[in-house]
Amino acid sequence: MIDLAALKKEAKQLLKDEKVTYLLGYRQGSNGHRAVPAFIREPEEVEQLTWDPTCTYNLTRYLIDEVRERNSSEEREDRPVGILVKGCDNRAINVLLQEKYLRKEDVHVIGISCEHAGMVDEKKLARELKNQPVMEIEFGEGDRFVVTTEEGKTTISAEKILADRCLECKASYPAGAEVIFGDKVKREFTRPYKGLQEIETLPAGERWAFWKAQFEKCIRCYACRSVCTMCYCDECVVDSIELAVTADTTAEEKARKVRWAERSPVTSENFTFHLTRAMHMAGRCVDCGECERACPVDIPLRLLYAKLARTADKMFDYEAGSDPDQPPLTSSFTMDDPGDFIR
Amino acid sequence: MKDNPYLPELARIVEIKEEVGGERAIKSFRTQFIRENGFSFQCGQCAMLSVFGRGESMISISSSPYTSDYHQFSIMKMGRVTTALHDMQENDIIGIRGPFGNAFPVDQWKGKNLIFIGGGIGLAPIWSVLHTALHEQEDYGDFTLIYGARTSGHLVFKDELEELRDKMTVYLSVDEEESGWEEFVGFVPQNVTEKKPSPENAIAVTCGPPIMIKYVIQALQDLEFDDSQIYTTIENKMKCGIGKCGRCNIGSHYVCKDGPVYSWAELKQLPQEY
Amino acid sequence: MEKILTKQALPRWIEQLDAYQIYAPVREQEGWKYAIVDTPDSVTLDYPNTVLSLKSILFPQREVFLEFHSQNGRDLEVEELLPGDAQSVIFGVRPCDAKAISLMDKVFGGDYIDNYYWKRRNQTRLIGLACNEPVSPDCFCNAVDGAPYSTEGLDILMTDLGDRYFLESVTEKGEELLAVEDDLFQEAGKKDQKAVKDLRSGAEKKFERKIPELQNMPEILANLFDSDFWEQESMSCIRCGICTYLCPSCHCFDINDEVETAAPLKGVRVRTWDTCQFPDFTMHSSGHNPRSDRAARLRQRVSHKYRYFPEQYDAFLCTGCGRCIDKCPVGIDIVEVLNKAVDYEG
Repeated sequence: MIDLAALKKEAKQLLKDEKVTYLLGYRQGSNGHRAVPAFIREPEEVEQLTWDPTCTYNLTRYLIDEVRERNSSEEREDRPVGILVKGCDNRAINVLLQEKYLRKEDVHVIGISCEHAGMVDEKKLARELKNQPVMEIEFGEGDRFVVTTEEGKTTISAEKILADRCLECKASYPAGAEVIFGDKVKREFTRPYKGLQEIETLPAGERWAFWKAQFEKCIRCYACRSVCTMCYCDECVVDSIELAVTADTTAEEKARKVRWAERSPVTSENFTFHLTRAMHMAGRCVDCGECERACPVDIPLRLLYAKLARTADKMFDYEAGSDPDQPPLTSSFTMDDPGDFIR
Repeated sequence: MKDNPYLPELARIVEIKEEVGGERAIKSFRTQFIRENGFSFQCGQCAMLSVFGRGESMISISSSPYTSDYHQFSIMKMGRVTTALHDMQENDIIGIRGPFGNAFPVDQWKGKNLIFIGGGIGLAPIWSVLHTALHEQEDYGDFTLIYGARTSGHLVFKDELEELRDKMTVYLSVDEEESGWEEFVGFVPQNVTEKKPSPENAIAVTCGPPIMIKYVIQALQDLEFDDSQIYTTIENKMKCGIGKCGRCNIGSHYVCKDGPVYSWAELKQLPQEY
Repeated sequence: MEKILTKQALPRWIEQLDAYQIYAPVREQEGWKYAIVDTPDSVTLDYPNTVLSLKSILFPQREVFLEFHSQNGRDLEVEELLPGDAQSVIFGVRPCDAKAISLMDKVFGGDYIDNYYWKRRNQTRLIGLACNEPVSPDCFCNAVDGAPYSTEGLDILMTDLGDRYFLESVTEKGEELLAVEDDLFQEAGKKDQKAVKDLRSGAEKKFERKIPELQNMPEILANLFDSDFWEQESMSCIRCGICTYLCPSCHCFDINDEVETAAPLKGVRVRTWDTCQFPDFTMHSSGHNPRSDRAARLRQRVSHKYRYFPEQYDAFLCTGCGRCIDKCPVGIDIVEVLNKAVDYEG
């Protein structure tokens, strides 16, 4: 079990000693039982900090905003930002470090182990409770969650309501963080790439029909992109106009911007968007699952990126974010590369 | 205006004049509608120009409503649509929707002295109101034009500016010294301060880059112009032109429909977000 | 006109409406959406609310305005493409979504009539379903001048009375839909009216979210315009379009040309939804952006709904459906933001 009091104490000390500029964590939100991201600046605000099975947010997303701000400010802040990370979030930090987007001295990483459990899937929870409003959800003993509704407390096993990403998680322990709360636990229920195995048994025609139906639902709100730490480009192929415009950008440059995908949410354009994004996830996606959680129309986006992740794993023995000192997969080359076209 | 406000009327480009060269080139396009359609506008209004296949861009009409054989649009090459416009040739077809927006209240200005203050391409909207007023010059007091650009090569309507000197006082300026330039050197607001137009029974109309407008307004206030004597136009990104698509608003005002012409007295009441 | 329809008779009524395309909420994975239903008995009205609001039918995310084609640039032709002529009936509309349509009526009417919107609107009949209780903890219709049984925007309102529906026509179009086969409907009696009344007053009490200072919001927000309140409240915003795309009353859009072939030129001009939450929404070609940061963008979303729209049309541009709260990936809660604004001193 995570000792929340100890976590708060650590956080408070960091802020008191001014070792971090602020702390990215979780607090209770105003919408029912769900936690929300918290930006904690003062030691006395640390009391807001919470840790429960709804702390799904991958807070490393906010490091992108922070890096941009630091890079554009004249006097660069030299103290790090404190950040709470789960195993998956920690891998995202590692990728940012590998890609030299983030400087190590700009973050102070506080790890939290998901131990026997992980984050709940709100939809599974609603189904399990037949849509009864949840008042509170806590970690229980082992792989159990304790859920409070108007009718009282019930215990539900993690496997029933855990998010798919957690059921497939390979590293729930944020190894390498400056300080880590919770233990490293061997989880019995973990089945990496389970969802992928299911869809891969389908014949090609059915897989095509499956994805076509999924992408037809897309409303191009770009929540998947916006919530993703790896989508840190200043300008995305689907932005309607050139975003990174300076006084020196010529009219021709702006006019030349290719519209890879039109704004119309039709199958062809939606495919272009999702497959482009997927390709940019190769060797980078850490499977925090935030894209899939954020998607308002339930597109199973993790499947796309899992396919690429497993390919990287099989072909190159590479796992995104497992080692901050490893060169990034798609920008490195070794003599034993399995592809013979390159030798 | 058509029944369907999104449907452009086709028009032919009958004349293209290069005003300014270089990376931020400016060209004046004169257009004629292919079919008679009753397009009638007032000075200050804008129209949505289409380059089919590239999109639309809101452009102020720089000719005066009294010019009936063509409509003129003076356009700086800036983005996707304006670059496509600059690539067009005489006789090419564009689409025009509009006119949109409000107008300069010239009728209320009769009997007054008018001071036009422009910078760069900002002379385009001024050109329409200036020529509208010139059409009935005897109804107004004195006219003054204070206009400047980065260099003499960046001044638009150069030939016409010389002709204007017969009808009104024209003060020109360039930002930096250049050989052969005999008029004012410095920014437009500085020229305003130097020329000291009198606020007595006067209206000042200013258009140009936002930073210039800001300092011109300050200069005019220093000369004791009242906020209600100062007029300007606002530019914002627009798509529909009819107050529906939601992007050009300043508070509850839609610049496409409720603007682009504002007195400083009106504008300063709005949220400062433009 | 007030009628009673037994639940078993619902498919028979729908069968009678064979001159119309019938839309109803259908289940799709975890959520619901409006879709055309082929068989009358597949209409089920036992659902919370759709993920995408009613606007997705009347103001579809993609609308083709016109087609253009040309062989050589000088023989350009433009053809107006209006929506088709199909007449539709939409079942199961929640009062919040219907009210939002009545707000859109204001936007797409006025000085300039939006023919695309109005063609669909005039061809559609909206049959509402009153909420006997909030369909989600995020509902707050009665905190924003609405009600779970509001008839605004509707042609008919249905109230679920257990084994039967209480139907009241709101418009002439609604009455026409009720003017079918005699034995289908029964007259509503005193008892039914009483049952409806009780349900309504009961429903009203079940909403927990309140905006006590609602009527003062325009002024409160005006005073906060330059405050750092917006930066604080928007800190976690990730600039996605969920809040606005799922919103039943957000109406902002983009217009673009989509080219099928460049030479000879052939393409269409389309309207698509757009959102004030995307940075490119207001960015000028020059790079200047009047709303360049998340704080300005949240301020715009909230102010448009609770300050600018009331100034323009004397109504709030929010009907309390709660979708933006429920689906925000980072838990931004517009009701919380509004209530915090009241006491904010910064």
